[in-house]
Amino acid sequence: MRTITLIDAIKEAYQEELRRDDSVFLVGQDLRGAIFPHTKGLVEEFGTERILDTPIAESGMYGAAFGAAQEGMRPVVDFMFGGFSYVTFSECSVTTGQYYFLHGSQQSLPIVITAGVGTGQRLANDHAMSIHGTFAHHPGIKVAMPSTPYDAKGMFKAAIRDDNPVVIPWHMGIMMLKGEIPDEDYVVPLGVADVKREGDDVTVLANSMQLQHALKVAEKLEGEISVEVIDPRSFVPFDIDTVLQSLEKTNRLVVVDEDWESGGFAATVSARIMEQGFDLLDAPVTRVTLPNMPVPGGYMEEYVAPNPEKIEAAIRAVCA
Amino acid sequence: MSLSKEQKAALYRNLVRADQYNRMMYRRMMQGKLIGFYHPAEGAIAPGVAACTFLNQDDNLSPHHRGHGIIHMMSKGIDIKYYLAEHTGKDTGCCQGRSAFHFSFPEHKVYMMSGFIGYNFAPAVGWGLAAKRRGQGQVVMNCSGDGSYGQGRAHEAMLMAQNWKLPIIFFCENNGMSIFSTAGEMHPTPDIASMALAYDMPSVICDGQDVFDVAEAVLPAIERARRGEGPTFVEAKTLRFNEHDIGTPDLAGWEERGEQEHQEMRKREPVALATERVLAEGVFTQEQIDGLNEEAEKEIAAVEEFADNSDIARPPESELLADVFAP
Ligand SMILES: Cc1ncc(C[n+]2csc(CCOP(=O)(O)OP(=O)(O)O)c2C)c(N)n1
Ligand SMILES: [Mg+2]
Repeated sequence: MRTITLIDAIKEAYQEELRRDDSVFLVGQDLRGAIFPHTKGLVEEFGTERILDTPIAESGMYGAAFGAAQEGMRPVVDFMFGGFSYVTFSECSVTTGQYYFLHGSQQSLPIVITAGVGTGQRLANDHAMSIHGTFAHHPGIKVAMPSTPYDAKGMFKAAIRDDNPVVIPWHMGIMMLKGEIPDEDYVVPLGVADVKREGDDVTVLANSMQLQHALKVAEKLEGEISVEVIDPRSFVPFDIDTVLQSLEKTNRLVVVDEDWESGGFAATVSARIMEQGFDLLDAPVTRVTLPNMPVPGGYMEEYVAPNPEKIEAAIRAVCA
Repeated sequence: MSLSKEQKAALYRNLVRADQYNRMMYRRMMQGKLIGFYHPAEGAIAPGVAACTFLNQDDNLSPHHRGHGIIHMMSKGIDIKYYLAEHTGKDTGCCQGRSAFHFSFPEHKVYMMSGFIGYNFAPAVGWGLAAKRRGQGQVVMNCSGDGSYGQGRAHEAMLMAQNWKLPIIFFCENNGMSIFSTAGEMHPTPDIASMALAYDMPSVICDGQDVFDVAEAVLPAIERARRGEGPTFVEAKTLRFNEHDIGTPDLAGWEERGEQEHQEMRKREPVALATERVLAEGVFTQEQIDGLNEEAEKEIAAVEEFADNSDIARPPESELLADVFAP
C-alpha cells in the first residue's frame, strides 16, 4: 500500500495503461506541459504521438479522437475544464451516444472523456459546472466520477479498458486528497456503488467532493444520527441495488449532487427510488443540489453550492 | 498613414495607464486580493491600447482575455472600478459580484467575457450585422489571441463577415503562445493573418510592441469598416513576458522558457519603446510623462479604494434565484 493524491492516482492509471496497451493515447491541450499535474512527465516517457497537444480546437480535437477510436485506437480526451467539452457538444454527446446503437451495434467506441470539474475555485459557471448529469442524459455513454485516490486509479483504468465511451471527470476540489492504493494492478469496475460508511438511520448518496462533505457530516452527527454514506461512483450504469439494500435498513434517503436540481442525476435517482423502493421509505427522498441558476463565482459559490451545512440540514429534515 | 501629435499623445497616455492597471492586477493577485485567476498582460499591452483608444462609445468591442480585457476597456473609456469590484467579489461590481472575472458593460457595447476561448467570433458577426443594418458607421473590434484562431468558429465568422461585408476588425494579438503551446507549433504558417487570404479579406501585420505602428495599421481598418467596405484582419505580433496565468509554470512545450528568451523579450518593452519615441518627437517632455504616470497612479488608487471599500456580495440564495430570468 502507498499513500498518494487523487490526481497522482489518475496519472498512475494513465502511465500503466499507456504501457500496457499501445493503442491508448491522450489528446488535449497543454497536456505535455501539464496544466494539471496528472499529465506531468508523460510526454518524456510516451512521446508526442501518444501525448498529443492540439490547438484550441475542441471540436477538431474530440472529432479526431472519435475517428481514431473508429480506427481501433483508444483515445483519452482531456478537455481541461469540463465546460469546454460543450464546445463540441454534437460530437461528444449526440454522435457519440448514438453511434453504437443507431448503426446496428456493429462497432463500439472506446473513448474516454475527462476534465476537471466542480465548484471551489470561485471561477463561476463556465469553469465550475459539472458535466456528469448532462452526459448521463444521453443514452449510450457511461458516466462515472471518482471520490478517492483508490477509486480514481481503478476507475480510470476500467474506463480506458471499457469498449464503450466513458465520461469520467474529476473534481478539482479534491485533486490533492490523499488515500491508500495497492501496489498491484487493479480496476474498480464501472457500475458498482460503494458503501463508504455504514449507518442505520439515514442513507446519504454522494459523490466526489460532496462525498467528502457527506463523510464529514456523518462523523459530526455520530451518536446523534447514524448516517450511511454511499458513493454511486458510476451514474451510468447506476447501481440502484446497493441503495435499495441500504434503504431496507435506513428507510431514509438524501441524494447530494453537485449539479443542477432540474433534470440532474439526483432527480433520476429520486424517481427511480420512488418507482422501485417506495415501500421502503419512511420519508420523501430529499435532494441537495445546485439551485437552478448558473453557478455564481465570487463569494456566492460557497453557500449556493452543496456544502456540509446544507447536507446536515437535509439529513436532519429527513430524520425529523 | 501618419498619426497626429494628439493621436500619439492619447495612445501614449493610455499605454501608461494600461501598464499600471496590469501591474495593479498582478500585485493584487499575488496579495490574494483578486478572485479566481489573472492572466498578466505585461509585454502585450500595446495592441489593445492601439485598437481601442479611438473607438466610439457605440462601437462594439470584444476585449482580448489577456489582462482580462482591462487594457481594451480602459482605452475605450470604460471606468474600471466596477470591474475591479466585480473581480474582488463586491456588490458594486459590474455584474453584482456574481461573475468572478466575467464583465459586462452593455452601455459601452462590451457585452461579455466568457470562459470559452473563441466565444467572441460568432457574436461579433451578429454585432456586425446589426451595425450594417443601422448604417451609422459603427464598427466591431474583435480582439483575441493567436490561440483563439484554432477554433473552428474563427473560420465560420470570417466566412460570414466577408460574405456579408460586415464592419468587423479581426484583431489578432499574436504573442506566439497559447498556455504552453507555441504558435510556431500550433499554426502552420508564421502569420495568423494568412488565414484572411482564404476569404479574400484584406489583412495587415504590425509590430505589437510599438503602439504607434499598431495604430497606423488598425486605424485604416476601422475607417474602411466605417465606410461599409467590409472586414479587415489585423495581426499584431506581440510578446508574453510572464507565465500564462499567475502561478502556472512558464513553459514552451514542456520545457522552461529560458532566461535568454526573457532577456530578448524585455528589450522590446512597449512603454520603454514608446517613451523613447514621444520624447524624441517632442510629443511629451519627461516632466509631462512623470505627470501622466502620477495621474495614472491616482486613478488606479481610486479604483482600488472603490473596490476595497465596497461590501462583499453575499445576497441570499432566494434573491439570486429570482434573478435568473428577466421579469
Ligand atoms: C474553449 C476553451 N478551451 C481552452 C481554454 C483554456 N485556455 C485559456 S487561455 C488559453 C490560451 C489562449 O491563447 P491565445 O488565444 O493565444 O491568448 P493568450 O493567452 O496567448 O493571450 C487556453 C487554451 C479555454 N479557456 N476555453
Ligand atoms: Mg497567444
